[in-house]
Amino acid sequence: MIELALETRDLKVYYGNNMVIKGVNLKVPKNVVFALMGPSGCGKSTMLRAFNRLLELNSEARVEGEVRILGRNIYAPNVDPIEVRREVGMVFQYPNPFPHLTIYDNVAIGLKLNGLVRSKEELDKRVEWALKKAALWDEVKDRLDDYPSNLSGGQRQRLVIARALAMKPKILLMDEPTANIDPVGTKKIEELLFELKKKYTIILVTHSPAQAARVSDYVAFLYLGELIELGPTRKVFENPEHELTEQYVTGVLG
Amino acid sequence: MKRRQINLRHILMPFVVFVFALFVLMLAVYVYNSMPIFHREGLDIYLKNMWKAAEEPSKEHYGVLVAIWGSIYTSVIAILITLPLSLAYSVFVIDYAPKRVKEWLIILSDVMAGLPTIIYGIWGVFVLVPLLKKIVMQPLHNYLSFLPMCSYPPITGFSYLSAGVLLGIMVAPFASAIIREAYQMIPFTYREAIYSLGATRLEATKILLGYIKPAIYSGIILAFGRAIGETTAVSLVIGNTFNLSLALFAPGYTISSLIANQFGNAFIYEYMTSALFAAGLVLFAIGLVVNLAGIYLLRRWEANVRL
Repeated sequence: MIELALETRDLKVYYGNNMVIKGVNLKVPKNVVFALMGPSGCGKSTMLRAFNRLLELNSEARVEGEVRILGRNIYAPNVDPIEVRREVGMVFQYPNPFPHLTIYDNVAIGLKLNGLVRSKEELDKRVEWALKKAALWDEVKDRLDDYPSNLSGGQRQRLVIARALAMKPKILLMDEPTANIDPVGTKKIEELLFELKKKYTIILVTHSPAQAARVSDYVAFLYLGELIELGPTRKVFENPEHELTEQYVTGVLG
Repeated sequence: MKRRQINLRHILMPFVVFVFALFVLMLAVYVYNSMPIFHREGLDIYLKNMWKAAEEPSKEHYGVLVAIWGSIYTSVIAILITLPLSLAYSVFVIDYAPKRVKEWLIILSDVMAGLPTIIYGIWGVFVLVPLLKKIVMQPLHNYLSFLPMCSYPPITGFSYLSAGVLLGIMVAPFASAIIREAYQMIPFTYREAIYSLGATRLEATKILLGYIKPAIYSGIILAFGRAIGETTAVSLVIGNTFNLSLALFAPGYTISSLIANQFGNAFIYEYMTSALFAAGLVLFAIGLVVNLAGIYLLRRWEANVRL
């Protein structure tokens, strides 16, 4: 049996009385890029935020069912959401490094907050390590004390990836990470995904079937809050079982 | 049909010119009326603590240092009080208050901003000053009188501290309005970002307050400006005494309370009115310096950080 990085059991999400995720069961194996694709408004970003309990920032949102990360249900009553978020990194649709923190501090902040390093030397090392992992080190190593305002969109997004990686998460959630990035930056980030999946499990939300086909090993197609189809990327694209999936991957359904 | 073109600029311009001219003329009036005392005292008007009114002009001597000191001292105390008050209020209103309570809290703070200052003044005299005297000044004086700040025996309670605390309470709604607005405007993505890194609420709040530092500066500057210009309430609780001192519990003067107190009978003396104008000129100068300092701070911030 394959070891699972993440598994949901009858996951439902409500905003007020409105059910937006309608009982989803999915399994994500370790060390893969797992794409969640679907048209806008299908609930993929919402579902992603159920995987690190970030939905709790929205007082209207309510989650039912289970999300198991490496076997542990993160919605069990004794689980601290802060601990969950420490183990599940996240990258957002809009590159959002903190503009008032230096490049260095943006990477170091999660480590500092959670007391994950013992000394300044260790912190320096980890920041360098994370920036190298995010393929940004060579571009910023001489200006770590600058603010991120002079970085390009793609560089900022890689800075955010470094910020998440610095905490050595078990899973990396990415919410349309290239939606606001130019093609060159997008290519760099997609190349990065191949490198990162050796060590991490990546769950990538995308509205672009093309991107899902390019970068993912497994893909789930979500439509109006329901999981329509799930499987190895190649299979889903070449031989979809569901008519909606076929329409979506061929561009008939946008 | 062709409409007649009216150049909006030509309509707006006179109003702007009027406001600008008013300011320049006002400043000119202050400078002009200060000239006699400048000729008589030179810089001593600002560097000495002296208030000798005499019917014979040759015996008159004025130096308003105590009032300048008092204005700055009380305003700094006010800022120290107002900063935690307005930060706490802003964060609570935005992050914690339930929706309906939130609206009421905002209205409450707006009402407090608009209350006539005499209301604060009377409350200060009858409630705040006795209270501060009993629970702050007397204990501090008893145990820490070796510190210069606590050395003065709080006999009446009317003092720099009372004025500073009262001002701090009065200006908090102004600082809080600016800080609250900015705090609310922080893009949600940064909130998500900080929480996604495993921050606690306290840690997240600290980082997010860092994000709105310019607004906090602006809030402080506005509050400082309000505090230094406030007259009525301060006159009632400062003690109105020519007492240049670091002692928090000692009575003193501020520029505005000096002018308010002395103006009524200043016409009797040859130079006193002029001395009061010269004192007023300092408020212009402080206002200018504080605002320039604020602009400098914001510029320096913007040079690095683009939000």
